[in-house]
Amino acid sequence: MKRIGVGLATLACLFTALGATAFAASGVTPVSASDDAAIKLASQVCSSCHGPGGNSQSPTFPRLAGQQQAYVLAQIKAFKSGERNEQEAHDYMLGMTTLIDDATAESLARYFASQPPPKGISGDPAAVAAGKKIFEQGIPRQVVACATCHGAHAEGNGIFPRLADQHAAYIVRQLTVIQRNLRNSPVMHGIIKNLTPEEMNDVAAYLQSL
Amino acid sequence: MSIKSIGIGWLLVCIGVFGWFGLINPARAIPAFARQTGQACVACHVSFPELTPYGRMFKLSGYTIGTRQALPLALMAQFGVTHVRNNRDDQGQKIVPKTDKPVLSAASVFAGGKINDNIGGWIQWTYNNLAGNGDVGHSGIDNTDLRVVGRSENTDNTDMRWLYGLTVNNNPTVQDVWNSTPAFGFPFTTPPNGIGAAAATMLDGQLGQQVAGVGGYMYWNRTVYFELSGYQTADGFFAPLRAGTDTQTPGGVHRLSGVDPYWRLAWNREWGANSLMLGTYGGHFRVYPDNTLPFTDTDRFTDIAVDAQFQHISQDHTYTFQYTHIHENQDYRASYPATLAGVPIGVGPTPVNAHDTLITDKLKGTYYFDRKYGTTLALVRTHGTADAGLYAPGSVGGSVNGRPDTEGYILELDYLPQQNLRLMLQYYGYSKFNGSRRNYDGSGRPASDNNTLFANIWLVY
Repeated sequence: MKRIGVGLATLACLFTALGATAFAASGVTPVSASDDAAIKLASQVCSSCHGPGGNSQSPTFPRLAGQQQAYVLAQIKAFKSGERNEQEAHDYMLGMTTLIDDATAESLARYFASQPPPKGISGDPAAVAAGKKIFEQGIPRQVVACATCHGAHAEGNGIFPRLADQHAAYIVRQLTVIQRNLRNSPVMHGIIKNLTPEEMNDVAAYLQSL
Repeated sequence: MSIKSIGIGWLLVCIGVFGWFGLINPARAIPAFARQTGQACVACHVSFPELTPYGRMFKLSGYTIGTRQALPLALMAQFGVTHVRNNRDDQGQKIVPKTDKPVLSAASVFAGGKINDNIGGWIQWTYNNLAGNGDVGHSGIDNTDLRVVGRSENTDNTDMRWLYGLTVNNNPTVQDVWNSTPAFGFPFTTPPNGIGAAAATMLDGQLGQQVAGVGGYMYWNRTVYFELSGYQTADGFFAPLRAGTDTQTPGGVHRLSGVDPYWRLAWNREWGANSLMLGTYGGHFRVYPDNTLPFTDTDRFTDIAVDAQFQHISQDHTYTFQYTHIHENQDYRASYPATLAGVPIGVGPTPVNAHDTLITDKLKGTYYFDRKYGTTLALVRTHGTADAGLYAPGSVGGSVNGRPDTEGYILELDYLPQQNLRLMLQYYGYSKFNGSRRNYDGSGRPASDNNTLFANIWLVY
């Protein structure tokens, strides 16, 4: 009986030793303390929802890989201050961002901006075509062309986020909460206030396909 | 008791609870882990206590994500009404106490959370208001899980490669992160004064708060999980892990000999809004026939289980499925020879077979809309070898044919007006109980007489 106990204790120690070896072999090379903290945070915490390197699987959580650095930083600050306050922001991000100091936030934004963006996911061709038209040309007398701010290829520009290859469900959700003023974004609200659910689905299908 | 009087009592409880809630700032009405992370319950729970993928990582990370709290406490309470279809035995005596009226069934205090970046855990202390046949309450330690963890990144610093740790706990499978295993499997709470079936496997709740487990685990690439633990009766240094448990009454608990192994292997995959786990777990336990005589030979119980879990979690629609199959080999190498010799060890029950098997299957499906309105259907079945020694005839609790077979379903409706408050209605329907459908106990009682309705308010704060 004692042998079993000793054996189990030895195995438990082996687990720890193996894990420690793996940790030592991971080869993290921090550029600065905040970069090191950001890498640990991104790979150990953020990745649980936003996926490895910001390539999330679940459409509840946005893809952050290749996202505009200034936009990521602005959003972290908006979550932290409560300025961005839709339900998901409150439920998931408010608490997480209060753990992040300013230097780490900047490193995190740099980290996600530097990650290679994922490949798009093709959708219904008719929806993609309709969405492409809205994105590039807008809707006369109603909606300004999205490409005006978000870039010709939806690559984003500074505080205007990258939308290419984003989860369609996430885009529809954001358009909805902005339209209902649940997410505080006055400029976007003014632009999309008359967008119909069908038009949202179309433009989201197009952006996810990029 | 009349429906009307039940209704008035229930209404008063509801008014009291919601009155209390009116005094609480909803944004602050969150338990210890949520206070630590600043996140809402839904970040980690489909509905408490079922875990989301992030909730699983939080648990495996040793509850260390977030900021250490100065007062890492949380509270839990359950107020409910239980109605048993026929709560009178063949002599007309009441079977379980305090049915058909609202009662505070249990209240818990949790101390839980992060100690530092590598150490965390939780300890639950529970007051059972219906212990002692409902006359005198009793408090003692409940589920407990303490961890030391480490992690490492993969070579391109995008994800965790290894997550590993040690766990010390007091209930096999309480440390598991998939809700297909027994400790955190459905039903997540049961009627405090319902009628229980005669048989359950060792891993299915038979060792909780009696044992101390120390184990190591590794999670690789969020894909493969392996754990090996050793369980022993919580004595000496580990005695606090069974604090409040009566180990002195013969037959009251299962006392293990030495350190017994428990193992767990799981494969996990996540894609889109979905996650899938396929796994296996088991244990081998050497149990003294009488817990107060820890020097006799031991019986051997070997549990081997397979399990699976699927979850789809999205904005509006969430559905999850869990399944487990537990096969237990019971080797009565101590009890059976003693029985043959005519001097059974302890107070029994003593088997009439040298070997028995016991098998449990549980399948559960849950749907939630908006993480507020939920319904769950579970099918449960336990069956095994007939053994008239273990399952003898007896009013209500016995078996006329000596079989442990119990089958039925559990239907639950849930409404969570706040993420930390569950209003639930649970119904247990039995098609077979302790061996048969009709006259299962030899006293004329049909299985359906044990059907139970449970209305419950479950609050965590």
